Amino acid sequence: MEQRPQVLARAVEGDADSFSSLLEPLLDQAYRLAAVMLNDRSSAEDAVQEAAIKAWRKVRQLRGDSGSLRPWFLSIVANECRMARRTRWWSVIKLADVKSPAAEEPESHSDLHRALLRLTPDERLPLVLHFYLDLPLEELARTLGVSQSAAKSRVYRAARRLRDDLTIEEVF
Amino acid sequence: MSNDDFRRELGHTFDDVAGSPSSNLRDRVRSAVTQAPEARGPYWIAGVAACVIAVLIVGVLYVANRPNPPSLVAGGHETPSASPSPEATASPSAQPTAVPTQSALPPFVCGSTTWAPSQPASTPYTEHISDLRTGVHSGYDRLTITFDRVPGQVEFHPQSGTAFTLSPSGMRATLKGKNGILIVMQGTDMHTSYSGPTDIVTGYSGLAEVRRVEDFEGVVQLGLGVNGAACYRAFYLGSPARLVIDVQTAS
Repeated sequence: MEQRPQVLARAVEGDADSFSSLLEPLLDQAYRLAAVMLNDRSSAEDAVQEAAIKAWRKVRQLRGDSGSLRPWFLSIVANECRMARRTRWWSVIKLADVKSPAAEEPESHSDLHRALLRLTPDERLPLVLHFYLDLPLEELARTLGVSQSAAKSRVYRAARRLRDDLTIEEVF
Repeated sequence: MSNDDFRRELGHTFDDVAGSPSSNLRDRVRSAVTQAPEARGPYWIAGVAACVIAVLIVGVLYVANRPNPPSLVAGGHETPSASPSPEATASPSAQPTAVPTQSALPPFVCGSTTWAPSQPASTPYTEHISDLRTGVHSGYDRLTITFDRVPGQVEFHPQSGTAFTLSPSGMRATLKGKNGILIVMQGTDMHTSYSGPTDIVTGYSGLAEVRRVEDFEGVVQLGLGVNGAACYRAFYLGSPARLVIDVQTAS
């Protein structure tokens, strides 16, 4: 079986199949990240697809080894989600798509679920990366584009928005 | 709620929000990547930009250094004077960048002639004389006037004697020689691009002296002091634009 560094090298040289094979293991995580950020499964898949295209176009800019691929790609996905949300506010919204606040927060949802949806997408992002995708702190920081200590504090601050009695030791 | 409970419940919440990706997401992404333009976008954009810049530079250089400005030789016409000599019907030579052969040169004339471009510039401009040169040749002495562009109307007035009226002072100046030729150039100046002498005493057998008689308000007059008859021929050359005046000598 071909080694990942070789596949990455071929992808960087412009081999689309190699690039796709590198991305495939990351698509599930990318989708989960986008779905939580956007709270919309269909838009999440669109965002992942767009992010994959952008990543393909920028693959030459990828620095480091194949271990850098996941934080690099997830950061592109997160950016794509931000773009998608910016696009949404001015795009035409069909009346049928307009949800009432009650529909967004049905009674069946737990308090935690409702609290999560009240966070901004950028606040949800460190939570997803840490609690859902279980990224190591180093990758988490690279995905957010900040230092590890800053990444820690972002995760903790967002988690405190969900449960205010959390200590940082309980989070990490 | 314990820490483990919090993590567990948060995990379930994430699962509720996200669900699972559709089964065709992998194919969608692979197809999108395969059909997307290759990862060389910036390179071809840079290539196109380089081509556009190169075309612009070539265009600017071409406009700035047009090799063949419209020449009076090809497009000009001669207006006979009120008292033309039989030889005053000289036709202009073909427009070369080098001096044409003797057979291609116009014949010498001894009367007044006026030259004007057949297609005047749409926007009047002032032409700048940048150089004056003289030289001796077999059968004629030559004065070459170099311009930045093709000048407007040019008149040649042979005269008896070498006294000219300086303008705008009105003073009289007498040049070397026995006869003179007054060259009047409209829409021209001799002080913007020219820094050479304005009075050239050559010591030649035909063309004895060249002197600026007027350089005022877009009109330049040059007086030529000639030892023999004030017979001459004139033609234009391109690249750069030059007015060549050959003063006939005895030999």
